[in-house]
Formats: sequence, structure tokens, C-alpha cells
Amino acid sequence: MASRLLKQWNQSKETLFSQSAQRRIWLPVGIVFLLGAIAFPFIGTGYWIRVLTSAFMYVGLASSLNIIMGYTGYTDFGNVVFFGVGAYTTGVLVGQFNFPLPLAVLCGALLCSLYAALLGLPLLRLRGHYFSIATIGVMDATREIVTNMKITGGGMGMSFPIFDISPQMFNMLAYYIMLGLAALYVLASFLIRRSRFGFGLRAIRADEQAAGISGIPTTRFKVTAWMISAFMTGTLGGVFGLWFSFVEPSDVFDIMISLKFMIMVLIGGAGTVFGPVIGAFFMEIVSELVWGRFLELHMGILAIIVILTVIFVPKGILHYVQNRIGLKGILAEMRQNKI
Amino acid sequence: MLLQVKNLNFAYGDVQALWDINLEVGKGEVVALVGSNGAGKSTLLKNISGLLRPRKGSQIIFDGEDITNTTADVRVRKGIALVPEGRQLFAGLTIRENLMMGAFTRSDVKAIQEDLERIFALFPILEERQAQLAGTLSGGEQQMCAIARGLMSNPKLLMIDELSLGLAPVVVDRLMETIQTIHDNGVTVFLVEQDVQAAFQMSERGYVLETGHLVHSGNSRDLMEDEAIKKAYLGI
Repeated sequence: MASRLLKQWNQSKETLFSQSAQRRIWLPVGIVFLLGAIAFPFIGTGYWIRVLTSAFMYVGLASSLNIIMGYTGYTDFGNVVFFGVGAYTTGVLVGQFNFPLPLAVLCGALLCSLYAALLGLPLLRLRGHYFSIATIGVMDATREIVTNMKITGGGMGMSFPIFDISPQMFNMLAYYIMLGLAALYVLASFLIRRSRFGFGLRAIRADEQAAGISGIPTTRFKVTAWMISAFMTGTLGGVFGLWFSFVEPSDVFDIMISLKFMIMVLIGGAGTVFGPVIGAFFMEIVSELVWGRFLELHMGILAIIVILTVIFVPKGILHYVQNRIGLKGILAEMRQNKI
Repeated sequence: MLLQVKNLNFAYGDVQALWDINLEVGKGEVVALVGSNGAGKSTLLKNISGLLRPRKGSQIIFDGEDITNTTADVRVRKGIALVPEGRQLFAGLTIRENLMMGAFTRSDVKAIQEDLERIFALFPILEERQAQLAGTLSGGEQQMCAIARGLMSNPKLLMIDELSLGLAPVVVDRLMETIQTIHDNGVTVFLVEQDVQAAFQMSERGYVLETGHLVHSGNSRDLMEDEAIKKAYLGI
């Protein structure tokens, strides 16, 4: 019944909204890219396989943050908390209770969703900066709890079991799992954006009160969006733990990781499907090329990138590429924004 | 009675904004609520539409059903539409998308399409500019769009908060005519206004709200003749 209604809604949307034709180019581009990514491990070196594995992880993380931050408009500085909870839960379940790996990752992700639901009911009543500050608080509090628990190994960190396969095989496996999850989550993000649910989220972002009087159950939608985001982030956390085979609280509950995927979302374009993908790749490639050479300065360079983004391309790279806005357009927009 | 508000009390924290409000809107009526700045008009509308929660003991009955403890989206489904103060359009969405947002709770695609056509007949300018972003419209057009969005939920009761806000008198007159048409099509209208004259001319019955208390109620024509009201609001 519900799915039939949704289908009708989508049909009506297609006739009622004009869909821009240029969106269609994304499908072939995406397929070519995906095929290239699948073939890469057979031609690339081990180093670049690891770099790309991490890039795919960030594609997934940025896409999941985008659901709460881009679509819904709730800037979440602490989304990394779900990354940590996912990693730790997976580690505990695998290391101490001998859960099969996929089941452990799934349980970790479900726990993240539950955590988001419990936190969301009070926190998502806050708006704007207040919500953002609260998420930082949640992250810090969670890190303290994990640091002081016995089962997680406390501040010493936690080792994951070592798998009995060759390092090359292991890296390949990690690569394909991260690639698969990233592709899946970009697809999920695309489907959510097109759905009636995503339409409601956009309305909440545009004007929450107006969304309420249009009959959108705002609290339920916001909490659901955060639960989805948490689930996706949680699975990636679990896989990250298995891949790195060691986590410690200051590593996975680090606001810098949160900021990193927030910056990816902003650079690429918040609220778009492919913006976070572009942002994640851009940042990962930049960091590989630049960070290594400026170890002391990399935070400064990161800050400069953020400032340049806000001044020159505040709507994200994708917006300017898609609408073919050149330097002239960017300057005109800057004048309009009185910079 | 379509809408009954009984003993409604509301407070922002410790500051009580509404005191024992009792009012009724009958099916097919046009009822006006007037009052000066800060009297609590918008607060009352937000209570009725479910954006704010009244204190215990308050009761809101719509179409024979107690809706006091329901959320805003449920009330939209039941047939209450609010055209909020200051329009509150989705500025970054097109006019068409704004109107579709008004129909969010509905899934009867065919009827939505028909309603859209009827609304475009009512506001031809919106059809002309349907692909334009709502934020780029003039004040009067934005108000039209807000009313149209309210109508897209196919309401039984249309509540309009400050129709005249920031609009030229001639635009207000034209909008009032449109609302008359909407009313003639069978929608009950609850009008909240600072422009007392326009509101009472338009309506059959009226209420006067002063610092959170309902101080007068009755036939709109009688209210307009009332000496106290004349003095306080009409400057006569």
C-alpha cells in the first residue's frame, strides 16, 4: 500500500516537476568511474590501493553526513561518534563474542541507529548552532565513556583479530568492501533525495515551521534521517576497524575526522548527491599530494582550503560545474554577497 | 461547529500569552480575529495548527474530534491549513514545488492535479511563474503563493495570519476578493488581522483579542459600530 502511494507520488512528481536533462549525464559518468574503480587493483600499486580504499570510505562517510547536514540542514559536528561506536561495537563483538564479521558490523550499525534515535529525540529539537554544539558534546562524552570502559580496552585502544590471509588479499578485500559500501550509499543518497521522504527533508531545511504546517511530521523525519546517517557511518566505522585492526578512543572519536567529512561535503556541495563524492576525492587526493610534504603545516593548509571554499565557491564545486559558472560568474556572485 | 477552542491557556515559559480563550468557527463561516501587536493572535493560530502546545486543561475540537494532543501534520491531514504570518514560503524552491509541498500529506494524484489547476485559475500569475523561485516574487505574489500552498492541502478550514502585512491597500483589496471566492467554494475561513476595517468588512463574526484575553465578540457589523472598538482600533 505504502509503496504504491510512493510510486504514485513519484510519478506525479515527474509530471509536476520539470526534471533537468543535464542530470542524466551522471549515470554514464558514474558507471565508467565504477568500472575503472573495479579494475584498478589489477593495475595499481599497493600504496594507491590503500589511498583509494580510504577515499571510498570518506565518500561513504561524506554521503551519510550529507543526509543530515545537506538534505535536512542540521550541521552535525559530531557524526564521527557513530564511526567510533560502529568500530568499537564490531571490535567487541568479533574479538570477545566471536560474532561472524558481517553480523558484527550490522549489529554495530544498528546500535548506532538506536543511539541516534535516543539522542535525536531531545537534540533535534535544538536548531542551528545549538544542535551543532550539542553534537560536539555528545562526541566528547561518548569518548570519555569508551575510554573508561573495560570491555573496550579503555585508553589503551583495542586490537582486532588478525585474519589468516595474505596482506595483498586483505587489502584487495578491504578495497572492494569500501568501494561497494561507498557505491551503495551514494545510490541510497540518490534514492532518498528523489523520494517523498527526501522532499520532506529539503522542506525542513528550507523552513522548518513552514514544513510543519505543510503537514510534514518534522520530528519523525529528522530523527529518521539521523538514524539512516548513523547506520551508514556505523557500518563504515566497523569495516574501518577490521581494516586497520586497531582503534583507540582519541583516533575514532576525533573532531578532526568529523571536520574532515564536513569539509568534504561543503567543498563538493551540501545537499547534492554527487557533491560529497567529489569533495571526498578532492580532499583525499589533495591530502595525499600535499600533506606528506607539509607535515607541520597541514592543519593550516586545511584551514586555508576551508576559507577559500567559503569565499569563492560557497555552494560547493558541483554547483559551479553543473551550471557552467566560470570565473566571471564566481566574481559576480562574490560581489552580490558583498565580499 | 467546525472548530471549537475551549479554555485555552498558553505560556511561553513563565510568561502567559493566552488566557482562557473560548472561540468557535462554524462550518461555512468567515470569522475574523483582530487585535494589536503582541495581543497573541499568531500564538493562538500556532496553538490551533499544532506548532505550539497549550497548557493542560485546554481543549481544541475540530470537526467533532478532540485534536488537542495531536501533532501539526495530523491536523493538516484532518483539514486545518495555516497561511503563516510573513508568508514563510520555501524561498529556494520554485512556486510549483512550494504548491506541491502544500499537498505533501495527500496521495490522490488526480485530485492534486485538479486542485492545482483550480488554484492556477484563481491565481493566474502563479501559473505564469510556476518555474520561478518563490523568493523572487513580490510581496503580494508571495502572499498569493502562501494562500495557494495552504489550499493545496484541500483544507476544511483555512486560517490566514496577517494577510495585509506589508502590502499596498489595493493589493489587500484584491486578495480579500480572492478569499471571498475561496469561501464561496466552500472553505471556512478564519482571518487574523491587524487591519480591523478590512477584517470586519470581510467577515460575518468577529473576536477582539487584547493582551491575551478575548475582550469582545459578536457580529462583525455590530463590532464595527462599537464605540470602544472604534476608539481603540479605527481611530474614529
